[in-house]
Amino acid sequence: MRSYKGSILLPALLILFFGLTAESSAQEKYPDRPITIVAPFPPGGVADLTARPVAAALEKVMKNPVVVVNKTGAAGAVGMSFVANSKPDGYNLLMALSSISIIPEADKLFDRKPAYTMDQLIPIALVSADPTIFVVNASRPWKNLKEFVDDAKKRPGEISYSSSGVYGTLHMAMEMLTHGAGLNLKHVPYSGAGPALTALLGGHVDTLASGPAVVIPQIKAGKIRPLAGWGAKRVAALPGVATFKELGYDIEFYIWAGLFAPRGTSPAVMKTIRESVKQAVDAAEFKAAMEKLQTPIAYLDAPDFQKFWDKDAKMLTDAIKRIGKIEIPEAK
Amino acid sequence: MSETLHNLYIGFSVALAPSVLLYAFVGCVVGTLVGVLPGIGPLAGISLLLPASFGLDATSAIVLLAGIYYGAMYGGSTTSILMRIPGEAASVMTCIDGYEMTRKGRAGPALAIAAIGSYIAGTVSIVGLMLLAPPLASFALRFGPPEYFALLLLGLLVLAYMSGGSMLKSLAMAALGLLLGMIGIDPMTGFFRFSYGLVELGDGIGVVPVAVGLFGLSEILLTAGQPTATEIKKPRLKDLLPSREEWCDSIWPIGRGTVLGFLIGIIPGSAHIISSFVSYAVEKRLSKHPERFGHGAIEGVAGPESANNSATSGAFVPMLALGVPSGPIPAVMIAAMMVHGISPGPLLISQQPELFWGFIASMYVGNLVLLILNLPLVGIFVNVLRIPYPLLYPAILVFCVLGVYAVNGSAVDLGIMTATGALGYGLRKFDFETAPVVLGLILAPMMEMSFRQSLAMSSGSYAIFVNRPIALVMLTVGLALLLLSVVPFLMKRVDWRQRLGLEAGQEKETL
Repeated sequence: MRSYKGSILLPALLILFFGLTAESSAQEKYPDRPITIVAPFPPGGVADLTARPVAAALEKVMKNPVVVVNKTGAAGAVGMSFVANSKPDGYNLLMALSSISIIPEADKLFDRKPAYTMDQLIPIALVSADPTIFVVNASRPWKNLKEFVDDAKKRPGEISYSSSGVYGTLHMAMEMLTHGAGLNLKHVPYSGAGPALTALLGGHVDTLASGPAVVIPQIKAGKIRPLAGWGAKRVAALPGVATFKELGYDIEFYIWAGLFAPRGTSPAVMKTIRESVKQAVDAAEFKAAMEKLQTPIAYLDAPDFQKFWDKDAKMLTDAIKRIGKIEIPEAK
Repeated sequence: MSETLHNLYIGFSVALAPSVLLYAFVGCVVGTLVGVLPGIGPLAGISLLLPASFGLDATSAIVLLAGIYYGAMYGGSTTSILMRIPGEAASVMTCIDGYEMTRKGRAGPALAIAAIGSYIAGTVSIVGLMLLAPPLASFALRFGPPEYFALLLLGLLVLAYMSGGSMLKSLAMAALGLLLGMIGIDPMTGFFRFSYGLVELGDGIGVVPVAVGLFGLSEILLTAGQPTATEIKKPRLKDLLPSREEWCDSIWPIGRGTVLGFLIGIIPGSAHIISSFVSYAVEKRLSKHPERFGHGAIEGVAGPESANNSATSGAFVPMLALGVPSGPIPAVMIAAMMVHGISPGPLLISQQPELFWGFIASMYVGNLVLLILNLPLVGIFVNVLRIPYPLLYPAILVFCVLGVYAVNGSAVDLGIMTATGALGYGLRKFDFETAPVVLGLILAPMMEMSFRQSLAMSSGSYAIFVNRPIALVMLTVGLALLLLSVVPFLMKRVDWRQRLGLEAGQEKETL
């Protein structure tokens, strides 16, 4: 029996913990109890890895516990709709990625009842933005983007790319490239950015778009070759890799992470959060943590972030409309 | 070789430093606990401790997290054997014969063999990891979607081949599992299938609630439905260790499980789960008395439990040698390394020799710690069986509910658990095995994904499955197994059909 008690302790604690954070109390002084940042993706992903240092830095600034909870499922829709529908009291915040603009649009495409709508959430601050890098397996012949584009035009539908999933961020980046350059590539979706990279390394697909932190070690080891980047300017760690803009394609794409609150959060509370986040991203520890993740901080306060988000969301919804529903080719 | 020894010496000097040793120990203890709890698997355990590891140095952090991973493989067998509730998905196979052994009063030996098998597999497979990591990792990369699909299909055929009672019944159950696995987002088009407006079903039906429902709840219901309580022999103290005969029966399954687990482990995917059921099937086939399986054969515990442990070492091969996550757990560990400023990639071993060799050495130490930790626990755990049913069963029920709820904090999961509990009760009343349902459910999303990825790669041509040598070999082996199991059927009836059956089978494969 002894071993029994010990073994139910962990879930019991967890439930207690979730119960506490979900419970609401009269709002007098904000914050007077722990704040939860929901990461809608599993630990180890960009959302989680960004949320944790933010939470640690916020905790110091606000002198109040800030905890990260992973509420995962349905490509992030579960966690995002959880925050979108939670009480707007400033105790449930969301660390979302670009995909926040994709899911409602995909829901529309399939006539689904949307899990949440974008106007249920208001932006607090942009924390990081990383341009994706276009890489090819090193055994493939293309040495630069021009060679690749020329070859792809000669052989429509033959060159393949992997992605983190259908309508996922990496799929969006490639859709912008194929649309911008007028190419027809074969899409092989995987269940995440990790498996997508594995497929590229194994030569099962020819190309991939992914974040710098993921591709740089493999580039250094000579397994994959970068051809171009989606940023407005070159990535510091890859000075030799030109941007699409330099190469004459008007496309720009970032994997970004930003903090959101449910709409209806009172202006006073929003002000407190915004000011605290501003101090938090400036803290030395936070900078060191993000440096280790090889993710540049790209802080924008709410008004600028709103502009950035509007532009990004429009670009993504246009891309989704272009892709439309995906037709599976007839089996031969 | 001398270089390896020298490196290993450096590794042990890292691993035996008091702080690293302490974290290896903590990891192993937490891992054992996480394994014992149904619901909380190694992934959840590692995720929960990930933030705590941020404050440690890189080596301690990795050693801690790895300890949880392989520690969970030790703990996972405990509830499977004692209560027929899989502590985590890799222990599903252990429920079958492990629990039967418990009913015969052999819970002690079952638990002991699970721990010892895990120890041998863990230790031997680290040698494999140490010597073979770089070459094996590049081999594993050659497993693309077509190869993976062929492997899974082979796994399913092996499953059919091993079926205990009626082959038809276990295939039907596997099909039920595959059908349940179709629920959720279509991975290629983003359509929600059979989700009935529930966002939670978008991710599909979780393995944990189904396994706990089908195995645990149905067992409780069956016991409650009997006029007299099921006789479970109370273990005697001197019966805690395996007999000489049980030792002899276990030693080969442990050896085979080790090799099999390691090889399957290096292939990206949920290898520790697949390895355990492939091992079970292999043992059943090779056994001189296959009829004992399902009725408390110790081989059915020794093989799978060894295989799932050695698969964890295998899973570290692509992670350490290439920086490629071979599954969700190595993915979290890679993230942990990145937080510490180490870029996992093909250069890791040469750039971070202390981390790599310290990690290897700590696994040797950790496995020993786990053995020392788990053997005395056998004596404590079997005492659970002395608790009278009216107290034990409600407690198990609470334990199941808490465990399942803790995974995602989802009430929908509790509904699924209850429904599958009722389903399992019905199925077992009609003598259907429930293990194939769970295996089908685990395999379905992987099979579907790799099948459709393969077709996306080939623009819809099925030739991709026979044009790639690794896939072709596995499909041929699967076909041979299928034919072997069909032959006796046909031989009994009309002899000449044997040849026809062969041709029909071939046609099906290349269609």
